[in-house]
Amino acid sequence: MNPCPSQLRVLLLQIYLPIAEMSVDALLLVGIGFGVGWLSGLFGVGGGFLLTPLLMLIGIPSFVAVASGANQTLGASVSGLIAQARRGNVDWRMGAVLVAGGLLGSFVGVQLFAFLREKGQVDAAVALFYVVVLGIVGLLMVMESVRAIFRRVRARPQRLHQHSWAHGLPFKMRFRQSRLYISVLPPIAVGFGIGVLSAVMGVGGGFMLVPAMIYILGMPTSVVIGTSLFHVVCITASVTFFQAVQVGGVDIVLTMLLLAGGVAGAQFGASMGARLRGEETRALLGLLVLGVALMLMWNLVTPPERLFSVTRAP
Amino acid sequence: MRAVLLLLLLLAPGLAGAQPLVARLSTDRVDVTTAFVGESVLVFGSTEQPIGPGGDEIIVVARGPSTDFVVRRRVNVLGMWLNGPSAHFDDVPSFYAIAGTLPAWRLLPEEVRQARGLGLDALPLTPSSGARSPQFRAALLDLKRNEGLWLEDVAPVDIAGNRLFQVRLPLPATVQPGVYEIAVHLIRSRQVVATERIGFIVARTGTAAEIERLARLQPAVYALICIILAALAGWLGSILFRRS
Repeated sequence: MNPCPSQLRVLLLQIYLPIAEMSVDALLLVGIGFGVGWLSGLFGVGGGFLLTPLLMLIGIPSFVAVASGANQTLGASVSGLIAQARRGNVDWRMGAVLVAGGLLGSFVGVQLFAFLREKGQVDAAVALFYVVVLGIVGLLMVMESVRAIFRRVRARPQRLHQHSWAHGLPFKMRFRQSRLYISVLPPIAVGFGIGVLSAVMGVGGGFMLVPAMIYILGMPTSVVIGTSLFHVVCITASVTFFQAVQVGGVDIVLTMLLLAGGVAGAQFGASMGARLRGEETRALLGLLVLGVALMLMWNLVTPPERLFSVTRAP
Repeated sequence: MRAVLLLLLLLAPGLAGAQPLVARLSTDRVDVTTAFVGESVLVFGSTEQPIGPGGDEIIVVARGPSTDFVVRRRVNVLGMWLNGPSAHFDDVPSFYAIAGTLPAWRLLPEEVRQARGLGLDALPLTPSSGARSPQFRAALLDLKRNEGLWLEDVAPVDIAGNRLFQVRLPLPATVQPGVYEIAVHLIRSRQVVATERIGFIVARTGTAAEIERLARLQPAVYALICIILAALAGWLGSILFRRS
């Protein structure tokens, strides 16, 4: 029996994801990867916060979407880290302190995730985390950039960095490259927090980490991107590890398809992003983040089509 | 399909001579590869006596591997829809299909049909723990039917030449790997007079199988491979697509 052309096309495009246990259109995944990669290149973020909700939207189970999203973000951030490291824009010492907190945070986050999954609340919890975190971050970004656009003349702070209560804590350490002599507690706490969020939301957390490094730690902007990429690569690797071992949601076929589109898209996005002004880019990114938060909130509050759901018992 | 029937027609006298019922499958193995989009399995056979009104009737039942399922109901908490009460169902067939020359309830007395589990309503679905409301059982039936994993009289068993029968069992892409058992019952005057048991295996093969097996048996090794592969892909990609 000869398959008719339409059947043949379906056979070529559909691919079975071994961990998600479902078959999906391969080109759709590459396309999603490309789109997210393009936006992440444009805005200079990992894009996990867009990718994971999109995967859940097309029906990938949330535990697979989160774990594979983290795995994809790892791949998407590696090339950026290499480029930044070559230019000497990574504060390795600060990175190591952040990662120390982040590893612990990602471990705790995966425990929380496994617990929520057992209770059957993982979908709602992931969505809620997204709504709250992205809502706050998006709002702050938009407000900040709108203020900056209105001011336009950016009064550069005369001091090296703002001193806050966070700098006065014990266990001080010298970070040469960041020109800081501060307690290691704030960076560990920041790393920990991002680690938890990374594990639960399947993101790298760059869009939260960058402002935290500037405003809480007072790091100079020159090393912020490189150091945050170092943190993102380490934490997504650790989230991949703990998720794969404990929850078993990392689908390498899914990750690879997303990366195939993602790395291509990121290059196009980056060359376009270079032509945009800083404040405008940040305002657009803020709006995008807010948009994702609103979309997930909408899903959370609209009455579901089906009241019941069935899953295999873990 | 026509070829199969023709072959069967030629063989029929010899096959059916000794036994009242003979049944076979088009395959004894369904491979789940990375290109798997579902498949269908043909159950066919022949009877000694003529099939049809007043004569013999056929019921085909297929069951996939059993699993435990959790059914959850969403409830509104502070304006948000969260998963609320749940019911656990143990040893539920992950795949179930029944087809007959007529629906089973028209062919067999009710108590026989219930005892043999012929029909979705005859499946012993009582929650082992959790919520007791019959809504959960109804929801399980509904959801499984929607996924195409539980099929009841979707298409009748085809009859050809009074003695040959065949029915196609469609397996969706979401079928669980494992052993699938098929029972073909021969019904005569509202009684099961003969049963032929056959089966096939759904198995992951090729890359998909290896990935799944590694992830299950050696999760730490699998995790490290995922990390390395993702990093390599990202690095390679940035070289390939670099626009200088």
